[in-house]
Amino acid sequence: MSRAERVADLAEAAALVQDGMTVGLSGFSYQNPPMAIVRALIRRGVKDLTIVSGPTSGIETDLLIGAGCVRRVVSAGVAFERVAGIAPAFRRSAERGEIVVWECDECVWHLALKAAAWGLPHVLWRGAVGTSLPELNPDLTEVRENGRLYLRVPPVQPDIVFLHLAEADAYGNARSAHEAYLGRSFSEKALAQACRGPVVVTVERIVPDEDVAGSPERTLVRGALVVETPWGAHPGGVSGRYVPDLEHYREYAAAGEARRRGDPIPYQRYLERHVYGAEHHDDYVRTIGLDRLEGLRMTPS
Amino acid sequence: MSGAGPPGGREPGTRAGSRPTDRPALARLLACVLARELRDGEIVAFGLNAEILLAAALMAQRLHAPNLSIRHGLRVERGAEIGPAAWTPERSSRSHELIEYLEAHDAVLDVANRSSPMRFCDVFLIGGLQIDREGSTNLIGIKGRDGRPAVRGPGSIGTTSIGTLARHVILFSGEHTTRRFVETVDYVSVPGWRRRAAAGLEGGPALCLTPLAVMDFADGSMRLRSVHPHATVEEVRRRTGFALPAGPVPVTPPPSPQERAALEVVDPFGRLDGVDLHPDGGDE
Repeated sequence: MSRAERVADLAEAAALVQDGMTVGLSGFSYQNPPMAIVRALIRRGVKDLTIVSGPTSGIETDLLIGAGCVRRVVSAGVAFERVAGIAPAFRRSAERGEIVVWECDECVWHLALKAAAWGLPHVLWRGAVGTSLPELNPDLTEVRENGRLYLRVPPVQPDIVFLHLAEADAYGNARSAHEAYLGRSFSEKALAQACRGPVVVTVERIVPDEDVAGSPERTLVRGALVVETPWGAHPGGVSGRYVPDLEHYREYAAAGEARRRGDPIPYQRYLERHVYGAEHHDDYVRTIGLDRLEGLRMTPS
Repeated sequence: MSGAGPPGGREPGTRAGSRPTDRPALARLLACVLARELRDGEIVAFGLNAEILLAAALMAQRLHAPNLSIRHGLRVERGAEIGPAAWTPERSSRSHELIEYLEAHDAVLDVANRSSPMRFCDVFLIGGLQIDREGSTNLIGIKGRDGRPAVRGPGSIGTTSIGTLARHVILFSGEHTTRRFVETVDYVSVPGWRRRAAAGLEGGPALCLTPLAVMDFADGSMRLRSVHPHATVEEVRRRTGFALPAGPVPVTPPPSPQERAALEVVDPFGRLDGVDLHPDGGDE
């Protein structure tokens, strides 16, 4: 018998998500958001998801909120750095009371995943005492032990996790690009280790197993379901492969801001063009244009 | 950090009023103010979009703190080219070797012990939608009249835990308005002096930088340390939502020739020109 490959296509991977699931998504700010999967989930029309993204997340979370797929957000922040200090759909839906925000910061976010990975009922954390987090998040409580205050952080356990990384072998060993100088890992391991179900990794390319076996220290996630999805993070960037498409972010942010102020048309147009109108990821790549995408590619230094 | 500040300049009270300044000049002035605060051997840490602290840290390494360590988050907009190492054309200065990235983003969880030599940082730079008299910050949101959040903020991001565990927090604001500087924040992302004491945490924010002034803290309350050359004490008071103690206020000392020279080396591409600052304090 030969070793089983763990390769799927995007539709198969997206079909694993049911309404109401807790879904972990990679993506720190502009880097490594699994956008091809996000768009596929929106086309499937899934509802009431709890999104665990970040620790500080971006467009992958905002687009799912804007498309009406989300009930709860577990993230330390949703923003696009200079393009939008507060992500527009997140802001709109939170202010209208349409989503629940699991208020936390980046460390608390990581700790909740650690508690899940370690199988603990909670972990105690000294950072974040004296803040509004326990007032706003009923899952967080301040407790006193040995005379000191701690924040008690319960586990957050995703039902399924989607990551986007530079490469993986066909057996599900995934990693960042060797060329990545900034940000070889963000929250990929934390999400994968906390997950109770499948871990799906979309990658820029599938590489030979010998390459991965030759540098085992670079492997971030093992045993994932792999989907080869070039440009799968666009408009986000992939460390060592391509930079974020800030012009696209600005276009998205303007549409989201218009909707927040009462004009839904530009956002609807964005969804029609980039999500509903592009049935397959290849259609999306064509819509954006390969010339434009190639212009984002990092040249090896 | 919180020790004796730089010698004050002239008293600004005799000037007629506010004079314009440009954003690049203001960003350079603020970088100098920060650089003067950083001490040899400290670890500074900051997150996204913190060009001013990065420039200040690189300057301090050249001027008076050669063993200052930098833990930089990520400025991912421009990809790999924007590493602080790439900021410094003089690779021979080796300053980039003292820069440690938050390569694995959960590294902050590894050491919550402030006295460990492996501590996360000594100095951390944070901002907020609101900043209050005792130096608490708020990135969560702003309450409406009905008590519900009228403005949803981005979230506390990395500020809460690192700000709580750092020895010193430096507050930064790109605007100086009564909307930003309030008596009491609506929600607390990072606690200031009184709230920290109540939670059994030592210390508190050391400094607060704005486009108009430098503020520090006495008895857990913000006070004016200096006003920038283009601003007046009166407009700073008018644009602050709580009373600042009376008394003479010096002018923020402008960049020295040595500081100007260091700035040219650490920011050869003019990254500071793009910092989001409102030299007039911003719209109220």
